[in-house]
Amino acid sequence: MDQATIELLARRAGLDKALAEFPDDVAAAAEQASSALARIKVPTDPRAEPWPPMRAGSGL
Amino acid sequence: MSDLHWLTAADAARAIAARELSPVELMTALLERIARLDPKLHVFIRLDGEAAMDAARAAEAEVTSGRLRGPLHGVPVGIKDIIDVAGLPTTCHSKILAGNIAAADAVCVSRLRGAGAIVMGKLSTHEFAIGGPSFDLPWPPARNPWNTDHHPGGSSSGSGAGIAAGLFPLALGSDTGGSVRNPASACGIVGLKPTYGLVSRRGVFPLSFTLDHVGTLTRTVADNALMLQIIAGHDPLDPGSAATPAGHYAAGLERGVRGLRIGFIRHFHETDTPADPEVTAGLEHVARTLQAAGAEIRDIRLPALGEFGAVNRIILQSEAWAIHGPWLRERPGDYGRLARRRLLPGAFIGAGDYVQAGRRRLEMIAEVEEALREVDVLMCASAMDPPSRIEDAAETERTYPRQARTPFNVTGHPALAMMAGVSRGGLPLSLQFVGRYFAEATLFQVARAWEHAAGTDEKHPPVL
Repeated sequence: MDQATIELLARRAGLDKALAEFPDDVAAAAEQASSALARIKVPTDPRAEPWPPMRAGSGL
Repeated sequence: MSDLHWLTAADAARAIAARELSPVELMTALLERIARLDPKLHVFIRLDGEAAMDAARAAEAEVTSGRLRGPLHGVPVGIKDIIDVAGLPTTCHSKILAGNIAAADAVCVSRLRGAGAIVMGKLSTHEFAIGGPSFDLPWPPARNPWNTDHHPGGSSSGSGAGIAAGLFPLALGSDTGGSVRNPASACGIVGLKPTYGLVSRRGVFPLSFTLDHVGTLTRTVADNALMLQIIAGHDPLDPGSAATPAGHYAAGLERGVRGLRIGFIRHFHETDTPADPEVTAGLEHVARTLQAAGAEIRDIRLPALGEFGAVNRIILQSEAWAIHGPWLRERPGDYGRLARRRLLPGAFIGAGDYVQAGRRRLEMIAEVEEALREVDVLMCASAMDPPSRIEDAAETERTYPRQARTPFNVTGHPALAMMAGVSRGGLPLSLQFVGRYFAEATLFQVARAWEHAAGTDEKHPPVL
């Protein structure tokens, strides 16, 4: 992720203060997120559901 | 009685009930030990010694009058400082929550007190159960009693170090990516992450709603089963609580492993994240020992460890961002550097990414379930390395993700970590057993067989 994209996403998330005071931490966080996302095999079956599911009738 | 600090919870409770041991005598011995050792170990964030001693006196008076509150009458317990204890601060080891006093006991604490246990105080953790070991927080990090130059694991650091050092026989921790099993591994004790939903999380500060588990840390397998028996059970006010009734966790403790099928996940430590040779040798020794005791050992393959870790991180950091986003926007400097770095990634993960991780999670659950139809229990590494030097930040950063615990937060299966041996450097080596949903009794049965064969319950840090 390039620096301009990191700054754009960080500001969109309201992280102006963190960006000003801890720019290295914000950049490292963006890198961590990209790295984790790249390691997942996204299910190819469009019907694959996420876990946990919505379960009607089992709420509080 | 001598060496009261090494008494198991079960033996202490038995001796108190038989009036062979006074709860005051036990508490006095432990408080003296804490006064001597905790300045080096930093296990406690808040020791509640006076209240603990008052409770011990009350417990003694009750025993004298023939009244026992329950199976832990007069037994001391330590509580990780993300878990509420009424009237005490819950700081999560963070400046963010300094002065946050809990109004009520967490359900798990309340159940322990109902069984007669006595709360000694609040224990060191990684900041918000994710950022540590850190030296830029209001309290220092806990240290490993096997060698205080080393990390005791985390995030339930004080829980693990305190149990191993003989400061208390029982401790509560929490586990979102391995935070009970990591200190259990690093400190050579027994740590259980139960099935997701078996133990109420109400009153526990959340890190990740669908990955958080409350867990138990003890010196013996039997104590772990005893502790789980007390805290397990449905809580209608915890949205993740399972409706399944608690089991009989100590029922099969001494049955041995003859006839059980154990699936050994070798690829985790052989190819996915190659382990230190001493760890590998330790795991093979455990497998041979259990085989000699009558178990059948089979090789099992699951998805790669790195992908389990990635799914865990995306879910954890997304859910944690929902909790910490407001503070990270307004008070980023009030977090320690490690917590800030580990919590900020949630700002860069999209809603679609979170759902994709959830979809992959269901596939991973199906694969572990399939494996557990073939075998009764799974066995694998816990930590790939002996505990790192606590002040060597680079070494800690390198070894921290080298573990096989996150898969079972993703899937919610019960997982127990314990000692596999001791390294040439005198530090604990570890292993992990994983069971079917709600089959903690079988996990304890296998873990007890290994404990009995290896005498791991008799091994204590030599310097203490």
